[in-house]
Order: sequence, then structure tokens, then C-alpha cells
Amino acid sequence: MLGTRWDADRLVNLLPGRVRVQVDEFFEALALLAELRDPRLLYALGPAGVRGMLLKRGKQGAPTRIRASHKAHFNWEYPADQPEMAELYARAKQGQWRAEDLPWSTDVDPLNPEVPLIPSSFLGPDVLREHGVRLSAAEELKFRHSVTAWMLSQFLHGEQGALFAAAQVTEAVQFFDGKLYGATQVMDEGRHVEVFSRYLDEKLGRLYQINDNLYVLIDSLMTDSRWDMKFLGMQIMIEGLALGAFGTLYRQTREPLLKQLLRMVIQDEARHVHYGVVALRDHIRDELSARERAEREDWAYEVALLMRNRFMAYEIHEEWFPAMPRARWRRLVGAIPGMNEFRQVMFSRLVPNLREIGLLTPRVLPRYERAGLTRFFGGASANQMTAESMLEGLDRQTIEDAA
Amino acid sequence: MPEPLRERVEQLGRDLEMLVNLWRGRRPPPFRTRVASGAGRGGVAAGPGPSPGDEPGAGPRAGALATRALEIVALTRETDDAVTLTLADPDGGELRFVPGQFFTVLVDVGGETLRRAYSLSSSALERERASVTIKRVSGGRASNHLNDHAAVGQRLLVLGPSGAFTVAPSPAARRVLVLIAGGSGITPIAAIVRTVLAVETSSKIALIYGNRGAADIIFRAQLDALAREHEGRLELRHVLSDPPAGWAGGVGLLDRETCLHELARLETRPGFDPETLDDAEYFVCGPEPMMEAVRDALREFGVPRARVHEERFSQPHLRGQGARARARAPRPQGVQVRRAGLPVAGFEVAPEQTLLEAGLTAGLPLSYSCAMGGCGACKVRLVEGEVEMEEPNCLTDEERARGEVLACVCRPLAGLVIDIGPRRAPGLGGAARGGR
Repeated sequence: MLGTRWDADRLVNLLPGRVRVQVDEFFEALALLAELRDPRLLYALGPAGVRGMLLKRGKQGAPTRIRASHKAHFNWEYPADQPEMAELYARAKQGQWRAEDLPWSTDVDPLNPEVPLIPSSFLGPDVLREHGVRLSAAEELKFRHSVTAWMLSQFLHGEQGALFAAAQVTEAVQFFDGKLYGATQVMDEGRHVEVFSRYLDEKLGRLYQINDNLYVLIDSLMTDSRWDMKFLGMQIMIEGLALGAFGTLYRQTREPLLKQLLRMVIQDEARHVHYGVVALRDHIRDELSARERAEREDWAYEVALLMRNRFMAYEIHEEWFPAMPRARWRRLVGAIPGMNEFRQVMFSRLVPNLREIGLLTPRVLPRYERAGLTRFFGGASANQMTAESMLEGLDRQTIEDAA
Repeated sequence: MPEPLRERVEQLGRDLEMLVNLWRGRRPPPFRTRVASGAGRGGVAAGPGPSPGDEPGAGPRAGALATRALEIVALTRETDDAVTLTLADPDGGELRFVPGQFFTVLVDVGGETLRRAYSLSSSALERERASVTIKRVSGGRASNHLNDHAAVGQRLLVLGPSGAFTVAPSPAARRVLVLIAGGSGITPIAAIVRTVLAVETSSKIALIYGNRGAADIIFRAQLDALAREHEGRLELRHVLSDPPAGWAGGVGLLDRETCLHELARLETRPGFDPETLDDAEYFVCGPEPMMEAVRDALREFGVPRARVHEERFSQPHLRGQGARARARAPRPQGVQVRRAGLPVAGFEVAPEQTLLEAGLTAGLPLSYSCAMGGCGACKVRLVEGEVEMEEPNCLTDEERARGEVLACVCRPLAGLVIDIGPRRAPGLGGAARGGR
């Protein structure tokens, strides 16, 4: 596979620029589909892959309509059926906050080097230079503005997906305590959409289009009719991705409003992942056949790799370096320190949660080992952590870095 | 067509359009710019969305337009017939604009809502508040109403900011701007002067400002203070057609000869030699006869057309507000909407509505900004039917020849078929354009 890829790169480089980008994109989509050798996985992710990567449904400049086909689960007895979820519901009600109370009057100048959105070390000037990118000081500040706005735009798009997924999961979940809790999560996600959208509008002045790979994930979760797949995808995988990304940016930004905003969002997200772990743990252990479980094990592994390998920020590439071959851009993004930290934080959250819900079985462990993810096996899962301990961990790391 | 089938056909159309565009190298834009005005809403509106205009009291008059209510927090009499209203968002939201842009103010006079464009005259750096300056127009109902009745604490409904008669300030810029204003044409120019002097420390500005008498000069004290403070960077020249005794500034109506004389004089001023002026950009704003004269003078002075920017005051108080349409079409008129040739929707326009208002009420995501014929954001193509459009407006001759109309100032005289054009990323299609 590596060999063919390399040859394809060489061939692609001989083509005229505009076609080259398209061909490269096409090969990438094919490579993704080829990686999903298992027909069940192909069935779960393939159609969404075509819609997102080839047809770019998320970038067509029109609202996207995605058909959902889950079943709403009604219960006319209103049982108190899951104490852990009831407790999360109580905590969630306590934890509500108003977007208006954030310090919106903070004057954010994205190009002020004294109060950077992300520090220079996030991108690593040496890494940029090694990959042939030379930026003046002013250009570098603008580049950092672009990267931050890109990340926050993807957060915003992800939160829209989370908002709808939370609503669907609330309909589909069979625990009544889960439904009550789910209502608070719908509220949380709505508020997240509000704050990210407002920050982009008022402070950064731009909104990047949804990344094709993020679109694929959201599309496939929306269309999957199995509630536990929605749960797994949204509550464990995408929320895990979000926690990784929010945590990284929270730790790195020097902009006080953004830091405060992320702090509030992380507190909500910690509850969301906790809920996912509680709901899935028993279901996967007790309700699924061996075959069904194996399918979810494979799916979780593939999606984890998708999230690690494929968020390549091509939107930034097209804005800044349209002439740079995409293969070189991928190498550059792969080497950026901030992106590496994001992957670290993401897997340090994700892997323990997969272990806790029972999807790290001996059958798939060797694959995680080959992907270099074993060092995260021993971490604490979301039901063993509080939002405070999570934020403390991030703050401590920041202080250690400074020292 | 049944709804689900139509949806599929439309989706297929968008998919094919995307594939064709991609293979032609036309990629979707990586991002779109968002100009914030208040909590989370862009400066260019697309679609009906919730808005302060929907609040009780504002609803019926503002129609479906996404207006914003701003409070008058200060009022300054500039001259006997000009008043500056300083506006702020009562909820504490920011007011962002690019110097040179205007607000469309909705003014209620005798039960009728008039829409008027008033340029923002304050510095764009001040985000908590922004000012519009309104000069009485003879026979102008809105300007006289505001001069007589505006008071601190009142709220005004506004749209925008809109307009492309702008200078986007950039700290790195090193440029020369020659600004020529007549009367209340100073308002957008004042915002440009204030903002550019503060942001662009390497740029230079020459301002030629014509008025009748000394008492008619708007912002006189402030402009004089800026010229002293930024000596060498702001060359200020007042020109009066009716000067007082002992007047040391320029004399004459800003006609072609006076303008040529003033430009020749400018070349002799330190820092504005002919070579420097070769790179200058020219911004002109004032009454129509002055604009024409200045246009001629600049041509004769050898300034390429591309470096001359004009803001024309259309004169909405002289426009017929759809009287003909009301007389000829007293019943609601049906409108069929197409997008790039494919039928997508239909709605009705009531006799008192504009095409834009009716379309927004029907839930169509129409782009618009100023809603008074001044920016071109709401252009649609008329395929069939006849409309009455308020004139003058900002449509160019080429646009008229293509059958384009401005939805915000047009009313159907009969049933219509319109095409709202190829799908554009939301927000991109609404790029406001200054009236020329």
C-alpha cells in the first residue's frame, strides 16, 4: 500500500495544479474506503465517505438534509432506572451557565503578539521552516489567527452535530434517567453552539467550512439507526476528540476570554463522556452478541485512526499554500507540535474510556499496540474523573511547561 | 413535483455542480468572513432569522427584515441643520463597521416607515458606539423628522452596515488618500479620516471639503483639531462658495474649475508632490452635480477611473414608493422562484410589500443588506413579468440589461418568475456594494 501511495504521489505531481489537488483528494478518499476492508465497516462509513469527501455536501453552500432513521423509545411508566444517570442529571442541572456571563467585553485582537490566541510554539517555527514555510512575523500572526479560527470553526460544526446527536440519543436511549439527563445535554450543546459561533463572529471575524472528514463522521452517525452506535460515536469518539482539542487549546491559549469559554465548555463535556461510558458499559457487556461486539470494536478502532490521521486542515492549506503539494502539507501538519499534543490528549481520554466500556478486548489489543497507543491503557476513564481533576491536570501541565 | 422528489433533484443538482466545479479547479472557499454586529449575527443578513425587529412594537413596521434596535445615547448639533446621533446596542453588543459604510435607518413618520441610508461618521475603532450624522434635506421627511424629534434614550431600528465605499484600515498600509467631500458628503469621509489616521501611521490624507458658508461646515472643530494633531499627514482644505470676510481657505463652488484649482494647489503642498499623488486613491462624496464636476476634473487631472471611488446619495425622498404598483396591482401577486433555472419555491406579494419583504416572510433565504436600493446585495433576475422599482438605485446599466432587479425596492405589477441565481455560500453572495 505504501509503495502504491508513493507512486501515486509521483504521478500526481506531474499533473497541472488544479487537477493535481483533485486527483490527490480522490486518491485519499479511495485510500480511506480501501482501509475499511470489513464489509460491515464499509457499509457503516462508505456512503457517508462519498457524500463528505467526494461530493463535499458540507461545503455546498446550502443547508444539508440528512435522514435519521432511529426509533424513539417511549416508556409510559417513567421508571427510576439508572441511579448513576440520575446523579449526572442532578449535577448537570447544577452546572448550567449562561453564555452572557462570559467576559464578552474583552478586546480580542487576533494579531496582538502580546496576547496570542495560540503561542508561536503551537505551530513550531522550526517545524514550519523545515517544511519550507517561511513567514514574516506579521504573516505568522495571521497564520495563527487562521489556524485558531479553523479549529474553533470545526468545534462549532462538531457542536452542531453533537446538538442533534444528543437529541436523537435522548429519544433512542432506553433508560428513563438517561432521557432526563439527555435533555440537559441538548441544552449544553445548544449553548456551546452559541458561544463558539459568537466568538467566531465577534472576535475572529470568520468561519471556516466544515472539514470533509468531520462531515463524514457526523453524517455516518446521523444516518446509523442503532442507538448504541450513535452513542459510541458521539459520546465516546467525537466527545473524546472534542475534549482533546478543547484541552489543548485551553492549555495553550493566552487569550483570557477564549480560555474562560473553553473552561466552561470542558466542564460540560466531561459530563457528556461520563454519560456515554455509563450507558454503554452495561449494554456492551450484557446485551450484545459476540459478533455485534466485534463489529463495534472494529468500528471504534477505525474511527480512532480516522480522527488521528485525517484532520489535515486542508481548508488552511487552500487558503495559505494552494501551490504546495498536498503530500508535503500532510507531512507538515503531522509535525506541528500543537497538533501532536492534541492527538496525545485525545487518546489519553479516549483509550481508557474504550477500555472501560469493554471495547479493548484481546482481539483488538494487538492493533492498538501496532498503532502505538498502548501507553494510554492505564489512564483514568471519564467515570473515574471529575471536570475539576481534568482541568487541574491541564493547568498543572501548563505550569510545568512554563517552568 | 412532490416534495421528496424535488428535494432529491435539488440535491443531485448541487452534487453535480460541486463535482463539475471541483474538476474545473473551482473549489469551495475555505472560509467566509463574518462581520459581527451584536450577539452572533453577521453584518450581511441572509434569511429571516430571529431579530430584534421581531420584538413587539417593531414587528409590523420592520416586516421580515432582520433589523437591530440601537439606542440614541448622545445627540450633538453640528450645524443649524445637521445633527449627529450616537448609537449604542442596549444589550452591550459591539457595533462593527468598515469606515465609509452606512446604516439603513428605519424612520417612522406619520405611521409610515421610511428607510434612509446614513453614513457612519465616527471612528470604526470605537466599538461600543457609532455615530450617524443627518443633514436636513429640503422636503426630506426622514431627515427633518430626525433633526426635529430625535432624543437621547429613543431607539432606532437599523439595517447593515452596508456599502463598499470603504477603506479597510491596516496598520501596515502606506498610502495616500485624496478625499473630496461636499456638504453632508463629509459623513463617510469623516469616518475614513478618523480611522485611517489612528491606524495607519504611515499613510497620508488630503481632504478637500466644500460648503456654502462657514456655518455649514460639519465637524469643523474636530477636523481642524485632527489637522493640527496630524500635521504633515492630514492636509485639510475648506472651500466655501459664500466665504465670510477675511476667509483664508479656498473659494468657490466645488465645480470643475475650482476642483482643478484645488488639485493643482495640493501638488504644491509638502508631502503631496505629483509623484506621490500618482499613487493616490480618490474618494468622492457629495451632491450629484458636485460629483459630476469632480469626476470631470479628476479625469482631466489624469486620474485613472479605477482609482476614483464614489458614494452617491440616492434620493429616496423623491422616489415613488410603489404608488404605481399599488394602483395597478391592488391584489397580491404570485411569484415563482427559480434557482439557476430550477423551480424551488413560490410565494405571494401583498400590495404594501416589496419583493424582498414578501420573500423573507415566506421563509426564502434571500440575501440583502441595506434594504433601500443602495448596496446591490439583494439582486435577483427577472425571468418573466413586470415590476416597478424605486429609482434612482445602485443598479448598473449592465445589470439592468441582464434583467436584474433589486428585490428590496421592487414591487410586482403582475405575476412574476424570478431567478435567485446559482447557490452561493451563505454570506458570500451578500457582499454589499456601494452605490455608484
